[in-house]
Amino acid sequence: MENIITVKSLTKRYTTYKRGSGFKESLKALFFRKKVPVIAVNDVSFNVKEGDIIGILGPNGAGKSTTIKMLTGTLYPTSGSIDVMGYNPTKNRKAYVHQIGAVFGQKSQLIWDIPPVDSFRMNKAIYGISDKDYDERLSLMSKLFMVEDFITRPTRVLSLGERMKCEFIMAMLHHPKVVFLDEPTIGLDIIAKNSIRDFIHEMNRRGTTFILTTHDLEDVEELARNVVIINKGVKVFDDSIENLRKVLGAKKIVQLILQEAVENIDIPGASIIERQSVNLTVSVDLDIITINEFMAKLSQQCSFSDISIKEMPMETIITHIYQSQIKE
Amino acid sequence: MSNKNKGKEVIKIRSHKRFRIKRYLTVYRECVKVAFASASTYRLNFLLNCTIMLLGDIIFPLITVLIYGSGAGFKGWTVYEVLLIQSIFTMSTAIADMTFHGVMWVTMDMVRNGNMEMVLILPIDTMFILMARTFSFEGIGLFIGGLTIFMVALFNISAPSILMWLQFIALFIIGVLVMLGIALIMAAISFKWIGNSRIPEIFGSIRSFGKYPQSIFPKSVVFATSILIPVAMIAYYPAAALLGRCNWEVFVVILPCFLFLLFGIYLYRYMIRLYQGVGG
Repeated sequence: MENIITVKSLTKRYTTYKRGSGFKESLKALFFRKKVPVIAVNDVSFNVKEGDIIGILGPNGAGKSTTIKMLTGTLYPTSGSIDVMGYNPTKNRKAYVHQIGAVFGQKSQLIWDIPPVDSFRMNKAIYGISDKDYDERLSLMSKLFMVEDFITRPTRVLSLGERMKCEFIMAMLHHPKVVFLDEPTIGLDIIAKNSIRDFIHEMNRRGTTFILTTHDLEDVEELARNVVIINKGVKVFDDSIENLRKVLGAKKIVQLILQEAVENIDIPGASIIERQSVNLTVSVDLDIITINEFMAKLSQQCSFSDISIKEMPMETIITHIYQSQIKE
Repeated sequence: MSNKNKGKEVIKIRSHKRFRIKRYLTVYRECVKVAFASASTYRLNFLLNCTIMLLGDIIFPLITVLIYGSGAGFKGWTVYEVLLIQSIFTMSTAIADMTFHGVMWVTMDMVRNGNMEMVLILPIDTMFILMARTFSFEGIGLFIGGLTIFMVALFNISAPSILMWLQFIALFIIGVLVMLGIALIMAAISFKWIGNSRIPEIFGSIRSFGKYPQSIFPKSVVFATSILIPVAMIAYYPAAALLGRCNWEVFVVILPCFLFLLFGIYLYRYMIRLYQGVGG
């Protein structure tokens, strides 16, 4: 697959003002304000392949949203270059944004007082979508999202989940090749989240490339094939989700309910990471011991009433990556 | 390139432009429909706003009537001539309120709340879509009020000739464009001076110089209101055309009006580049 997005040494700096709290500081700030330079994104480079779903992860204030805003052409980078389908987002903006879609989880494209279907019609006019294409796409996406019942009700009476589904339709009516999603599942319940994830999978299967920023690691695990992690404006990881899981080594988490409490488990490559009476959580390093061997040795040392084997939690891996950067 | 290919290229560009204009007109029509739907949703609010706008702006010409009623007035100007200027000002303000004044408030609001992205991701001119989306029917009451005073004043002055009417229409349109220039400059300033809702008040005060006959002002003020910030074009010069008081100087004033508008457009487009958004 060819690269559809190429980002090279992307940097965004801006100046903000600092002032203390309290009346005295407020008064002082009327006349003197201390300028503070901020590097929101620092020398970030990555590529996205056509048809991919890439997750951009990072803690609050890491620079994820700034990166995605620069990719959509709504913010101008201080330096570096962005190439999306041969377009430079900051030059020839109108032609570029015709090719992309964007959903910002905390902002809305829908018009508050009118039904979503009227907002869709507005985008139909803005993007110059033909009647035939509009009807086909609206019908397809309405079925995928099951929104036929409520797109004719005023936006202000819809639930957050219903509104978010309509935001997706609004962003994709013009059939964009690339769609940017900035925390699209924020505040949604599990049913709405699953519905949105299924929709993204289906549209991706039909050829749309998605770039997703999120705090929700489930979104990343369910959707993304590749992950870019940004912390304090700097890229700290850029690889596949499989390789992300291997950052702490090839490990599995085994949860046991023992029939009798034991002092310790003496198995090479296995270590207890949590113990609550007869409940044990054990980390197993697959580079040292296979699950088969581990199970055989475990049955010799103790008896258990229940067992479950899980992947290393994504939170643990991501926290490790953030913290190793702080230590450096 | 051969002549045949050049011809094809010209046809392609023309058809592209035609398509673009058609698309922009369709978008505008959709925005007007949305404005109507919103106005009909909040009917009482719509009626109240229409009335408040009408009362607020219509009081001013009434003061003129009171001034003239008490024996005072503007030297060289009858009460109906002054009312003509002020009614044109009211109509021009109403058109501005309905069609493009919203760009000021919506830009200020979007920059402050970091919502500008939602417009910048659309493949359409940002200024145009913000103006279209803020189309408001609420100025219609004000326009009808202004038109009523205009008719009263018109029946009490000498009947203008066709040429005078043509001059009036042309100058009235240019006056509206000056208002557009002012709105764009104010909106552009809000990209840098975030959250300052008092900017329009400053410009509102400057604009009010356009409500009076220019001959009552010192020459320096006339220069400023005709050349630097040509607010005199909003009402004085169009009224002067209907009153047969237009002379050569009106042609000198037309150019600064267009330059003012172009400056507003340029400044707005330049300032969009400075948009920084808010924290995510």
